[in-house]
Order: sequence, then structure tokens, then C-alpha cells
Amino acid sequence: MKVLVVDDEPQIRRALRTSLEAHGYEVATVGTGDEGVVGAAGGAPDLVLLDLGLPDMDGTEVIRRVRAFSEVPIIVLSVRESQDDKVAALDAGADDYVTKPFAMEELLARTRAALRRASPEEPAPPAMRFGELEIDVAKRLVSIGDEPIHLTPTEYSLLEALVTNPGKLLTHQWLLRKVWGQGYGTETTYLRTYIRTLRKKLGDDASRPALIITEPGVGYRWVAEPGP
Amino acid sequence: MARTDRQTERRRAGPTFRAAAVGLLAIVVAGALAYATEPLGEGSAVAVLMLGVTIAAVTGGLWGGVVASLVSSVVLSLLSDPEQGLLGSEPRDLIAAVVFLAVAVVVGLVVGNAADERDRAARREREARLLGYLSTKTLSGELPDRVLDEFVQVLLEPFGLSSCRVDVTLDGTDVHAKAEREGERPGGPTEIVPIVVGSVPLGSLIAERPAGRRPMTRDERALLEAATRQAAVALDRARLDARARLAQLDAETSQLRAAMFSSVTHDLRTPLASIKAGVTSLLDRGAHHDAEQQRDLLLTVLEETDRLNRLVGNILDLAKIRAGALIPRRSRAAIDEIAEAVVARVRQHGRDVAIELAFAPTLPEAAVDPVQIDQVLSNLLENAVRHSPPGGTVRVHLTQAGRAVRARVADVGPGIPAEEREKVFDAFYRGKEAPESAGSGLGLAIARAIVVAHGGRIWIEETTGGGTAVAFEVPLEESVL
Repeated sequence: MKVLVVDDEPQIRRALRTSLEAHGYEVATVGTGDEGVVGAAGGAPDLVLLDLGLPDMDGTEVIRRVRAFSEVPIIVLSVRESQDDKVAALDAGADDYVTKPFAMEELLARTRAALRRASPEEPAPPAMRFGELEIDVAKRLVSIGDEPIHLTPTEYSLLEALVTNPGKLLTHQWLLRKVWGQGYGTETTYLRTYIRTLRKKLGDDASRPALIITEPGVGYRWVAEPGP
Repeated sequence: MARTDRQTERRRAGPTFRAAAVGLLAIVVAGALAYATEPLGEGSAVAVLMLGVTIAAVTGGLWGGVVASLVSSVVLSLLSDPEQGLLGSEPRDLIAAVVFLAVAVVVGLVVGNAADERDRAARREREARLLGYLSTKTLSGELPDRVLDEFVQVLLEPFGLSSCRVDVTLDGTDVHAKAEREGERPGGPTEIVPIVVGSVPLGSLIAERPAGRRPMTRDERALLEAATRQAAVALDRARLDARARLAQLDAETSQLRAAMFSSVTHDLRTPLASIKAGVTSLLDRGAHHDAEQQRDLLLTVLEETDRLNRLVGNILDLAKIRAGALIPRRSRAAIDEIAEAVVARVRQHGRDVAIELAFAPTLPEAAVDPVQIDQVLSNLLENAVRHSPPGGTVRVHLTQAGRAVRARVADVGPGIPAEEREKVFDAFYRGKEAPESAGSGLGLAIARAIVVAHGGRIWIEETTGGGTAVAFEVPLEESVL
């Protein structure tokens, strides 16, 4: 697995290289946005770790250019202060973000999740289990234990959008367009209402979330790991 | 003042007519009496007429007395010898006439002087009252523009002005004040009085009477100048006060900066020291750490890094606040949803503190910056958890309060003494009993800045049974409050 690190700080590049290599990744590092775009095109990485604060180019611009020719997963590294940049990066096509300073285990977990989404080892199973919760994607059926859960078509579409992007932070805009259609994007109240109903029906407590995590002002993330 | 003027004029014109009337009345009565007492001899008639002249002079002044004395002379000559007519007076009657006139003049002058004296005293009293009023008003330590506004307003009435304005330059700043009386036609006689402090001209006062009024008398002009001097003194004083206040503010700010600087330096250095100590210990080839010791050291480094990160984040926020860059990016957001996310995040920290979150399902959405409100709730909740004893409970309660959403975060920790409740919102303030490990003293300051930027308020509430409750309110709509 090849990871391209785009960051202008040599210390960060060094720390990332050391840690990623220790986990068996092949690492290439560059320090500018231009080199990043070139590296993403020529190096055929499996994943890009992109710092938003680059000296030569806005990180969001790098994402746009890479997205023109590649669907490679991009994880954005950004400082807490640039919340708007984060949302812009996600809307531009980034897969996830990690806030600097980050814990290595968190970055590795996000990396694994992004790689898994990008190249599923097997085609999406017709049914997924998350503990008691079972979602049969083929039949569009949801049950907890053996108790069937009735979802409206919209609720089901929303759930499907979430579970088919496990671990990914899905922005309000992305979810609205995915579930309601291209004409939507700012109707966060709809989205919130449906998320709330969905949580209730699935028995997920937002203040002790096991399935869906809220990122205030940004979006939602499906966090449950598949398994019995 | 036009009214006052007219009154004064009436008072001056009035006595002359009244004097003549009273004088004549006195003489008619005196003449009647003299006629009635004629049998008693001419001496008594002269005495009665003299009384009439005196009364006329006292009540009617000089002219009243003169008229009365002339009439009395005629009456006397008619009484003494009616056949001779007016011109054929005997020398005796002529002497009486001269005496009458002399008495009338002397008494009239004395009485007139007294009246003038009384008028002057009354005017001086009015002037003193005006100047006294001005000096108390203008020396009250108010700002120069307030002083001037008051000043021009006060002058309108006593000087009978249609408008009064002041234009001055104070420390390079132009200050203007103007007052007008409604319903008065402008364009009357105008007085311009320079405003001078020491020998420095500050500007001028322009006083205008309504069209058609007479110009000011010399006395009035002098009074206006005195009042203007009073205002100049007040202005100078206000200007010096403002300078002193600025200097004081400057001193306080630099004091605060010094405190901030030492606090920040200390707070930044402490975690750095721990990190450096931990890492150099691990790198030390001569030291033999077992696996558990290594992990301990590394955990210390991790904790201190997090602390440093929080502190730097807070300092950056504070800098943003100070730079006025903390502008909420409002969108419709559900504060209950934000609270749920914050509670979920803080629960992950795994402290032995229970967190209860309660809100009504009908809680409305509010136009807030979700990221900033997240930060406020995070700061309050992290504070509450940090100050809770192990096994304690933190209660987060959300309610609608009129056109606002109210959040209350209550812990069962040691609480905040009443006298510290305002101060806890100041940057770098830590409770007197706060342990070294407490927060940076910035969390509440940042929370307050965000809440205030949303048009809301934040405060410490009384709690029954100890502990601290911090509550804040943000309006549902941007325009509310």
C-alpha cells in the first residue's frame, strides 16, 4: 500500500514516514501542492495525506485537481482553527480529516477505513451486521435482533448512505444531495430531523453513540464496525 | 427670555403711569381733606398736601412726586384765594410750591435709587444662580461633548435665544453642540463669544436671538461672557480628566498584559518541561526503563502535549477575540444536537464522572454558529468534569427561555465563592483555591466572548447543595435581544 504525504513541515513528514513505515506502508513525501498533484498522478498512491496549509496552493485546490483524474482516497490534515477549510475540503472531495495535532492511532484508523472503502476486498455483502442491528441492503430490510424495523424510503436511503461509507465523515451537503437530490444542500433541518428519527428507531443514543456520530456544523459519521 | 425682557420693560414703564395715577389720587384725597379742614387754617391744608406729595413720591417715584407737587401748589393757591386765580399766588404759596417740589424730588430720587438697587440685586442673583448651575453641571466630570450639550441647552432660556451653538477643537478633535428653541424665528441679533482657556483659543460660542428682538445689553453680554468662561474651564477640566482616564486605562492594560504574559509563559513552559524531561529520559542510553516505566513516561508526554494543545488553542481563540475576529457564522442549528455531540466527546475522556443531559424534545433550533456553541458547551462541560469529585455527576440542562435557548451546566464540585463569580469570566483568572493542574483560566473567558458575540449572556447560578452552575442564553434569532 502506497501513501503519499503532502506536508510542508519536514518534522511532520518525518514522523509520518516513520510511523507509517512501521505499519508496513510504502511512503512518499512531498512539500508542496504542485508536487502533490504530480505525485498523485505519477506515483499512483493508494492514499493521500494532505496538509491544508501548503505554501504554494490552497489544499482545497489540490483536492480539486487530483479529483479531476483520480478517485484516490484523500485524508486532510488541518489545524482546529480552520473549520471552514475542513468543510470546503470535504465538499471538494476529501474523504476525511484529522485535526492537527493528532494521535497516530487515530490517523492509522482513518487510513485503514479509507483504504477499505476504496478497495473493498469483497463486493459489498448483501447484508451487514452491527451487533444486534442487521441491514439487508439487497432486500432493503432492517432489523434489530429478529425484530423488523420499519423505515420510510428516505430514512432507508439516509441509512444506506451512512453504512456504505463506514468511518467517513459525510457533510450535510453531501448527505442532502445523496439522499434528497442534487437540488438540495442547505436544508440541514430536514437532515437533522431524519437523523434523529433514524437514531431513535435504531436505538442509538446521540450522547453515547454506537452507530452515528455528530460533528457539529460539519456532518455525520457512521462509526459502527461490522460484526456480530 | 423674551418673556423676561418684556416683564422687565413693563416693570420699568409701569411705575411711571402708576406713579402719576397714585400721585393724582393722593392729591385729590389730600385736596379734599385740605378743603374739609380749611376752617382749621391754611397751615393744616399745607400739611395735608405735603403728606399727599410724599405718598405720591414714595409710591410713584420722582415723576409721581413732581406731578403731585405741581397739582398740590395749584390746589393750595386755589384754596387760599380763589379769586386771584392760578398766577396770582402769594409769596407764601410760592414757598409752599417750592417746598412741595423739593420734597417730591428728594423722596422720589431716594425711592428710585432703592428700586434700581433692588433690580440690580435681583439680576445679580439670577446671574449668580446661572453661573453656579453651570459650574456644578460642567465640573461634574462628564465628557466634553456632554458638557457642551448641557451648556448650550442651559443658555437658551435665560438669554432668550432662538439658538445657541458651540464649536470647539479639543486635542485635535472637533466637538460641536447646538440647541434650538422650537417655534422661534431665527435670524435675530447674534453674539459671538470666543472660548479661551489660558491664552489658547478653543473655539467660539454663537448665541442668536429670535428675529425682531433687540440685541443684548452690555450687562447681558457680560453675563454671557462669564458663562462662556465657565464652560471653557469645564471643557479644560473634562479634557484633562479624559487624558487621565486614558493614562489610567493604559496602565491597567499594560498591567493585564504583564499578568497575561507571565501566565502564558508559565503555562506554556510547564508542559514543555514535562515533555522534554520524559523524552530525554527515554532517549538516555544509560537509563534502563522497564516497559511499564517507558509507558508511564510516554503517557506523561501525551497528557502534556494535549494540555499544551488546549492552551495554544485557547490563546489563539483569545487572540481572535481581542482582534475582533470572533464573528459567529450563523446557521440554523439544534443546540440539543450539539450538546449531545459534546457530551459524547467528553464521555470518551473516561473520567469517573457521570454526565446527564436533559432537554425537551420541542426545543427549537437557533441561529447560531454550531462550531462556536460546541466550543462553549465543551469548555463548560470540561470545566465541570474537571472540578467534579470522582463519582460525581454533571448535569446539562437545555430549556427554552422566551426567545432564547438556555443551557445550564451544573457540577457538584467545590463551587465558586460569591465574590469570585464575576471574575471567573476574566481571562487568566483562576480560583484562589484552584490547584496548579487546573485549566488555563481561559475557558470561561472564551465562552463568554462567544456567547456575547451571539447577543447572549452567561452567568454563574446559585446552586442548592454546593457545586457550580454556569448558565448561558443565546437568542433564537439574530435580531432578538
